[in-house]
Amino acid sequence: MATRSYRLDSSRLLRREPVALAVLTLAAILAFLFVTGLSRMFHAQQDALAQRWSSRGLTDLQAGRYADAIPEFRAALLYSRDDFDFRLGLAQALIGLHRNAEAYTYLINLWGRRPENGVVNLELARIAAEQGQTEQALRSYHNAIYANWPAGQESRATETRFELVEYLLKLQARTQAESELISLAASVGDDAAQQTRLGALFQRIPDYEHALAAFRRALAADSHDPAALTGAGTAAYDLGRYSIAERYLQDAVSRNPGDYISNDRLRIARLVLQLDPLRPRIRAAERDRNVMTAFAAAGDRLKACPVAATYAAAGTSKQDLAAQWAKLKPQITPSGLRRDPDLTTTAMDLVFTVERQASEWCGTPTTTDSALLLIAKLHEGN
Amino acid sequence: MGSIRNSHASAQTSSGAPALAEKNAPAQAASAAGLSPAGVIWSVFREDRFFLVLSVFIGIFAGLAVVCFRFAIDWSRIYLLGTGAELSPWRLILAPALAGLAIAVLTIHVFPAARGSGVNQTKAALYIYDGYIPFKTAIGKFIASSVAIGAGHSLGPEDPSLQIGATLASAIGRRMKLSRDRMRLLAPVGAAAGLAAAFNAPISAVLFVIEEVIGRWTAGILGSVVLSAVSSVVVMRSFLGSESLFRIPPVELRRPSELVAYCILGIIGGFASVAFSSGIGALRPRCRNMPQWTQYLQPAVAGALIGLIAVLGAPQVMGAGYEYMDEAMHGQFTWQFLAILAALKILATLLSFVSGTPGGMFAPTLFIGAMLGAAVGGAEHALLPHFHYTAGTYALVGMGVLFAGFLRAPMTSVFMVLEVSGNYTIIVPVIVANTFAYVISRALQPVPIFDVLSRQDGLDLPSMEELREEDVLRVEDAMQPSPGPVLECDDSLDRGFLEQEKSSCPFLMVRLPANGWACLEQKQAEAWMREGRGGYALGTLLTDARIPYVHPDQPLDTVLRYVDRWPVVPVVNRANLRKLEGVISQRDVLARYRDFGGE
Repeated sequence: MATRSYRLDSSRLLRREPVALAVLTLAAILAFLFVTGLSRMFHAQQDALAQRWSSRGLTDLQAGRYADAIPEFRAALLYSRDDFDFRLGLAQALIGLHRNAEAYTYLINLWGRRPENGVVNLELARIAAEQGQTEQALRSYHNAIYANWPAGQESRATETRFELVEYLLKLQARTQAESELISLAASVGDDAAQQTRLGALFQRIPDYEHALAAFRRALAADSHDPAALTGAGTAAYDLGRYSIAERYLQDAVSRNPGDYISNDRLRIARLVLQLDPLRPRIRAAERDRNVMTAFAAAGDRLKACPVAATYAAAGTSKQDLAAQWAKLKPQITPSGLRRDPDLTTTAMDLVFTVERQASEWCGTPTTTDSALLLIAKLHEGN
Repeated sequence: MGSIRNSHASAQTSSGAPALAEKNAPAQAASAAGLSPAGVIWSVFREDRFFLVLSVFIGIFAGLAVVCFRFAIDWSRIYLLGTGAELSPWRLILAPALAGLAIAVLTIHVFPAARGSGVNQTKAALYIYDGYIPFKTAIGKFIASSVAIGAGHSLGPEDPSLQIGATLASAIGRRMKLSRDRMRLLAPVGAAAGLAAAFNAPISAVLFVIEEVIGRWTAGILGSVVLSAVSSVVVMRSFLGSESLFRIPPVELRRPSELVAYCILGIIGGFASVAFSSGIGALRPRCRNMPQWTQYLQPAVAGALIGLIAVLGAPQVMGAGYEYMDEAMHGQFTWQFLAILAALKILATLLSFVSGTPGGMFAPTLFIGAMLGAAVGGAEHALLPHFHYTAGTYALVGMGVLFAGFLRAPMTSVFMVLEVSGNYTIIVPVIVANTFAYVISRALQPVPIFDVLSRQDGLDLPSMEELREEDVLRVEDAMQPSPGPVLECDDSLDRGFLEQEKSSCPFLMVRLPANGWACLEQKQAEAWMREGRGGYALGTLLTDARIPYVHPDQPLDTVLRYVDRWPVVPVVNRANLRKLEGVISQRDVLARYRDFGGE
């Protein structure tokens, strides 16, 4: 019986094999075609859903509605699990809600996939900076600066360097910040806004020379830029170049009369230019008049300044200065100054001493006294 | 089963003449049937070859079916739960509840076989139903499981995929009118294809089917299973891409001392596995014994409760949860939340499974393992910060731990993690942790979950774990020392007769040339002596009386093939076939088996 069935199976198999294979092949092809159609439908739907949710997420992200953006990006990821941009969007939304730990895990995975991506490096740098991981933050900032940025976003590398400078200034790392700014100066070009921003950062270093240069480049591109005018005026003022400062500040104030700080500086700059008896090529009569004005202002400042006991005990006392001033006072006349050429120097030395001491004892001086102090600073080396 | 017969024949090769006789059986049968031996060989070869080709086709069809199944699950999710990531509370509760109601009606009235474990149904096809699985089962599994998983029931697509593959293979086999032996093997071949496509992991699928369904390795089975698994994975990848189920982060083991942390994970995973399987073992029969009308409501209630868990803040427990395993691996959750998720997933899966909702437990097992692993790793790191911690490594090891502890497939658990991670540095932690989990689970829950389920279903299927672990009696356990001296072939019959009288033993062993053995029986010796052949050399008299020999380490049942034809069988040393270690008789074998039964 077994032998018979064996024979039957074998012969049946032999007979059927080619037909069976042909039928199976045909069925497989048909099934393949059917599943291909189904697959196209499925993937088209998945792509459409991914696109729909991601565009909603992006809109909410850009509008700062981070809480709404998170589930939208998560939904987009359901349909396109590995999409880099969706994950990045989700991470950025999480950062927006200060869920940095969660965002970090997304970002670090994205970084693993594309270590050269600028946005990822920048976000990682921000998180590290916020968590006080200075080394990591600096590394990520530098990675971001030298990273690949998407087309049309190349300027973000410059932006990142600006951000790095801000971070370094916050850390009081002025030397590093300055070197970053010098690199930036080369890459910013003639963009007025960027040069103005650069100048402002140079001022914070402080590096007034580079600041003034940056503001001047900004003004070369746009001579009416009020921020650049103010910046240039301030930088020149801080450098002691009062005539340049006066010019820029004059322009800045005329464009923005509400800028009281520039206004004050302008007044002081003018006073410096006006009151300085030691400036070159000054006429004798004017010099004598300036010495007398300065001497009188110093006397007034000394009289008006109440001296605290702590200061009174240390070094030069108010009484000494008052005595010196009173002793010299009778000589400070036009004829006295003409008779003794050295008297100008003696008088101005006393004026500078009085102003410095008074500013130490009594705080912020008046406009004239400020000008005298600046004049003192101008001639400090002489 | 042809392959089983072949394996027996090859096992006997070293045992002498009977093996040859058995080997020749097909040839004799074919000769009787009128086919030449060459024709027989050709036909056997063709059948083997055809079976291999058929395995490829089974893989292709299973792969295509699994792709459709995946689409169906996703479409169910989209239309039942919505397209967004955050859903309204009502939808979260109503979708799984209503889906549960529909599934209950379907499984009670239309597809009753769609309930239950696909692994066990495949085993039943192999061991009971001659490879037959009704095609309706696959349709039922496909519809009910895709709706259930899509609606958020805490079940996975792997077990249904496995069963869909097995059913397709069975249907193809029936159409091809294959022999019964081949038909039986087709179900596991299809099961491997279905599982491989569902897991996107052909090696793990092959190992699982060998380890848990077929239970033995032979070249014939392995070739077919591998071919079907590989072809199904190729098909699946051509439609769904080659990405693995999870994005695997870099995994590493920095210091050997970190293995302690993985041991702890293995221990905790072992207890979690026991809790999970005990829960299923205890609750499933109770739910099934409840009144008939409650059977309609059980999946709906389970669905509503799972929806409630989601509303209360853990929507991650819904569905298969692969995307959340991915997130856990990438450290998106705190360890406290991971621990909560592991506990809630056990609860949700218990609810879904014991309510009779069709679906598999592979994905939930991996989910629980991933969450538990990352949670234990995170907790260890919080307590001992010098321990290096990456969520991905612990989550992967955790998956293996639950696979070994709950599904009790230790080999598959190791290879599954290796295949999924593609990283061999993880092998040591996986082996260490899996061993702990497996040993604990086996100690506390002696019957593996698949056997528990099959017994609850009234089936007595062979337990692969019991087969692996059972004590095997060997020849050395029953053999006796040789009762008298061993005679040489040059010795005369006179000497043999003398020795026999001296030792009063009914038989003596005789060494023949070329490592052969013979037995000089007392009656035969007396007859030859009466014939006056006392001076003859024993080798001359016993030339045609060679008997097979066995070795001490061979299974005792090997001897059963010979002891009815020869009074004793020599037991010889493997390194020196002329050295007699002892003898064994039918009585010795039966006595040993009797004692073994008493033990």
